Amino acid sequence: MKKKGAIKFFVWAALSLVLIVYIFYEYETGKIDQMYYHSTKIDGYAVNTNAFFDATKEKPALLQIEPADEIRGLMAVPVKKGERLPRGANGVIDKKVVEEGKRAKVEGDKLVVMVPWQIKESKGFKYKDTFIHKGIKTDPWSGVWNVAMTIALGLCLGFMAEGLTDLLGWKIQKIEHFGH
Amino acid sequence: MFEFTVAGHVIPLFLLVLTGFTVGVVGGFIGVGGGYMVTPALIVFGFPGYMASGTDACHIAGKAVISSIRHRQLGNIDWTIALAMVGGTMLGVELGVRLLVYTKNIGLSGVVLLAASVAVMLGLFIYTQVETQRSHRKLEADRKAGKEIGREVKVSTIPLYFQRIPIMPIIKARKARLVISMWVIVIVGVLTGVLAGFLGVGGGFIRVPALVYVVGTTSHLAVGTDLVEIVVSSGYGALRQSMEGNVDFMAVFFMIIGAMLGAQFGSIATSFVRGPAIRYILSYSLILATVGAMMRLVYVLTGGTQEWLAFVAVVFTLGEMVFLCLFICSLVWFAVRHKHGRAVPEWVPPLVVTT
Repeated sequence: MKKKGAIKFFVWAALSLVLIVYIFYEYETGKIDQMYYHSTKIDGYAVNTNAFFDATKEKPALLQIEPADEIRGLMAVPVKKGERLPRGANGVIDKKVVEEGKRAKVEGDKLVVMVPWQIKESKGFKYKDTFIHKGIKTDPWSGVWNVAMTIALGLCLGFMAEGLTDLLGWKIQKIEHFGH
Repeated sequence: MFEFTVAGHVIPLFLLVLTGFTVGVVGGFIGVGGGYMVTPALIVFGFPGYMASGTDACHIAGKAVISSIRHRQLGNIDWTIALAMVGGTMLGVELGVRLLVYTKNIGLSGVVLLAASVAVMLGLFIYTQVETQRSHRKLEADRKAGKEIGREVKVSTIPLYFQRIPIMPIIKARKARLVISMWVIVIVGVLTGVLAGFLGVGGGFIRVPALVYVVGTTSHLAVGTDLVEIVVSSGYGALRQSMEGNVDFMAVFFMIIGAMLGAQFGSIATSFVRGPAIRYILSYSLILATVGAMMRLVYVLTGGTQEWLAFVAVVFTLGEMVFLCLFICSLVWFAVRHKHGRAVPEWVPPLVVTT
């Protein structure tokens, strides 16, 4: 029992480790982000919302409008619906929002952001609604990847834990439902 | 601290691991996904509402896989019932989601959702509490009379009615030792799935009582079998939510790491107790979740003017998670003490097993 438990534990622990290393590799190389921030759903300006989170009406953020493959700091890249998002972008400010001029507007070659976030509610819970995730489209395969990784992780960790208790000699026996 | 680039937040890792652990204990013990506890927790940590809900659904699928593996080892899964129910659950979840979209379109979603949650959970709490207290008294009386007590004691006769429905095909669930029309199981799957899809939760807190009081399984089998259903329904939910861009996988990852430990403890803890103990904890989780949902309902109905209600509701929901986890830990602690002949409170012996 202990020998079988040891084999089970080490095999599943090795698989868990491989999976965890793979997940961190995908995170560190930005592949998870690229799958999530994949393309645009609307016409507008791709931005990195973290760069202007503290902007206010009194002290708005000025973003340089220019085409680019990567966003660094206060930049706004004009994008059209269906295009791939530039690296570093985590939201798209809708063209209509810019035309309204209440939260953001264009002045020359600058995008002026005045209201980077507002309070909204969902199911009775309040949260900060920002431009992050707005107008972005996730790679449809990322859904399959997420679920596959979740189930694989669950299986590896679950069997590893089962192997560990067997290895330690803990007698986890089947419950006699109709006995005592 | 860890930067969750998808959710757009920097959060201390231990908070997510601890959340996963706590909900893992509760979920492994009573067979629920714990969506009604994790979503508010993630919102408190700073996740946007939509991302909290999607991330939660994905983590529940992983946690349910871990719990199911342990419950399989404990013999708490009736695969016949689980497989018969899967189709109905999927159909139900889809119908529930469509019903939700419909209510949203006519502008009722928030209020209807909360009111439905309160009504369903309150009804289930009252029935579960009444039945479990009667079972507890019966256990106590049998113990005092020196009779042998089984792992499960139920006083509800409702399952007998459903087991007599003669619509073919009739299936034999060997592990649960019952013979029942497959359609009863499918319809239970559809109805609980509709509620789960409509309320946006895994549906465990509805399905476990349904398996016990309608199908007639023991509480232990209901917990294990329900977790298999949760793998399927949450897996499907996670796929839909991921495709909508509502999932931060790294948050899911850390919560699953915490859940791995918690789910082991919660699942193994079921082997220390009798059926009514599981139903007690389930019913307490229901009433605590109901109070939290009622506060949010009052908050929404008062037009969001009573700010303190929303705050108290969140604190209450998080407190519930910790309370239930500690309750389960103390029950196991008492079970071990009782097994070794040490003093325990009077209400404990009928609820725990000594062999």
